[in-house]
Amino acid sequence: MSMLSYIVKRLLTLIPVLFGVLTITFILSRLMPGDPAYALLPLNHTHEQYLAMRRFLGIDRPIILQYFRYLADLFTGNWGASFAINRGEPVWDLIWERFPRTIELTLFSVLIASFLGIKTGIIASKHRNKWQDTTFRGFALVGVSIPVFWMGMMLQYALAYQLDWLPSGGFKDPDYGSPPHVTGFRIIDSILSGELYLTIDYLVHLIMPVTCLAFITLASITRQTRSSMLEVLQQDYIRTARAKGCKEKDVLHTHALKNALIPTVTIIGLNFGSLLGGAILTETTFTMAGMGDLLVSAIMERDIYLINGLVFFSALLFLMINLFIDILYGIIDPRIRY
Amino acid sequence: MGQVEQRELEELIEIRERKKKNIFTYIKFLLIPGYIMEDLAIREFEYEKTISKRKFIRRLKSILTILGIAIILVIVSFAVFCPWIAPQSLAETVDFYPNPQHPSQWPYQPPSSENPLGTTYFGRDILSILIWGARVSLTIALPAILMALIFGVIFGTIAAYYGGWIDTIIMRIMDMFLAFPGLILILVFIAMWGLKLEYFIMAYGILGIAGYSRLIRGSVLQAKDLPYVEAARASGAGNWRIMFVHLLPNCIQPIIISFTFDIGGIILGLAGLSFLGFSDPSLVEWGFYINQARAQILDAPFAVFWPGFMIMITVLGFMLTGDGLRDALDPRLRNI
Repeated sequence: MSMLSYIVKRLLTLIPVLFGVLTITFILSRLMPGDPAYALLPLNHTHEQYLAMRRFLGIDRPIILQYFRYLADLFTGNWGASFAINRGEPVWDLIWERFPRTIELTLFSVLIASFLGIKTGIIASKHRNKWQDTTFRGFALVGVSIPVFWMGMMLQYALAYQLDWLPSGGFKDPDYGSPPHVTGFRIIDSILSGELYLTIDYLVHLIMPVTCLAFITLASITRQTRSSMLEVLQQDYIRTARAKGCKEKDVLHTHALKNALIPTVTIIGLNFGSLLGGAILTETTFTMAGMGDLLVSAIMERDIYLINGLVFFSALLFLMINLFIDILYGIIDPRIRY
Repeated sequence: MGQVEQRELEELIEIRERKKKNIFTYIKFLLIPGYIMEDLAIREFEYEKTISKRKFIRRLKSILTILGIAIILVIVSFAVFCPWIAPQSLAETVDFYPNPQHPSQWPYQPPSSENPLGTTYFGRDILSILIWGARVSLTIALPAILMALIFGVIFGTIAAYYGGWIDTIIMRIMDMFLAFPGLILILVFIAMWGLKLEYFIMAYGILGIAGYSRLIRGSVLQAKDLPYVEAARASGAGNWRIMFVHLLPNCIQPIIISFTFDIGGIILGLAGLSFLGFSDPSLVEWGFYINQARAQILDAPFAVFWPGFMIMITVLGFMLTGDGLRDALDPRLRNI
């Protein structure tokens, strides 16, 4: 029961932050240069058409009414229409078409990075200052300082152009189609429809981008796990567990890791923001048509409604992930459930 | 003459008196626990300071940290001395019209004796680009970090010290800024304001305020209830004096570490932005040249390799220094 009340309390503290995010997005979008009414009309329009378009978009009203209209629109799904990417296409459709690809890329990277990162962090803390520790710390340092796109291009050059083991970009082979639309997520759809060659093709295309993103996240997770494991291993209860005859494996995983996981989980949650940024760069490098690519095009073209929708969507995603991380705290450490 | 000798005699007598005092007080020092002898206390204090400074420097002297500091010095010297170091001047490096006279200035030439690392799309020497780019990266990163640091520290200390509704309001505002993923907010700021150097600095500065204020709020909240704050308040210090003279120097340690890591982070972010195309075209940015050379990666891989390598080395230097500082300042490893 306390778990449920913890989740409810977390959701309640999310609401003011959500409104703050909405307000900031609104202010930012209204401060951006560019006139949406002018951009949505053909070049030889009359003044009456211009005024009618302004009336249609609702931008000739006072700013407070615009704000409330904006809130109402946001919650009913009418996020405006893009005027630069595909003229007149609703923003919600554009985002929802590309969002599953980005989220698959990001989720795979986070899962692989967390799993491998925690493992290497434990090994590095167990053999402190020996060769395992030095190698993993070296990799972690390089991973934190390497630019994503440069690593992507070096991988492309080595694996795709010179050795021809992996495809050099995109998220699917141009000859293959799409699986029948069940959820929109390509992996789930292709598994559900039974066409496994699509799944394998998609996974093969995802190997290089996921490697780039995961390497960078793995670096910071390894560093954090290593330092918090080192701190935990100096505690008295570890000494007690060893004195009582506990196996070293159990000492590390059962006793030490649970206490060391909390800063690590914080870092994973904080890194998700830079993961989304890294996903933007990775998608541009490997020319995968995802949400990040859309954002870059939108900002190049100053497409106000699309930028608005994407920024709000990313902030919402980030808040959801942080909520999930907070719930994960409650699962790992029962003391935090207040 | 006589007076000088008289004074010297008096000084000698004083010293002997003090020495006599010392013998008795020495016995007292041995027998009574907690007995404080003034000059011994002063000497011990100086000794402790020297020992802790020595320990700090000894822990700082590991080879990786020295490598990091050396890299930072090299990059800073690139930034400061680039008119004298770089083979080409700045005008030649950003000149957009290739000079087809000499084959060493044709686009995408392999490394040769004239251009040690090859040439770019416009025929410019890559080594000059690496050296001139250091200046731009540091010029954007340092003021942005300082702005974020100063304002973040001020807001965070005020929020943590006063508590109550000031704390709630300031932290809610910072949480709202932290709810956006970093690169996306920077992109929106740049879309709003335009592509000039000052706007980059301001965008990164505003974004960094939230992180630093959170960081220092944690430290100050822990240190606020310690006895020295109470002692300062009892001796009549006002609120601002307590905050910035007493609390801040003791809470600054995570800030210093975060400072070095964040410079590296900003340089990486700038590289990403200029890779995507959002950079001031008159500035020499490393990411921009990676983007430009992308089409020719099969024929001229060196044009893609060297700018990215430079970014990596620069950020590596800052990360190594930050790691070394963090290990040296760690209070848990005090006995090593």
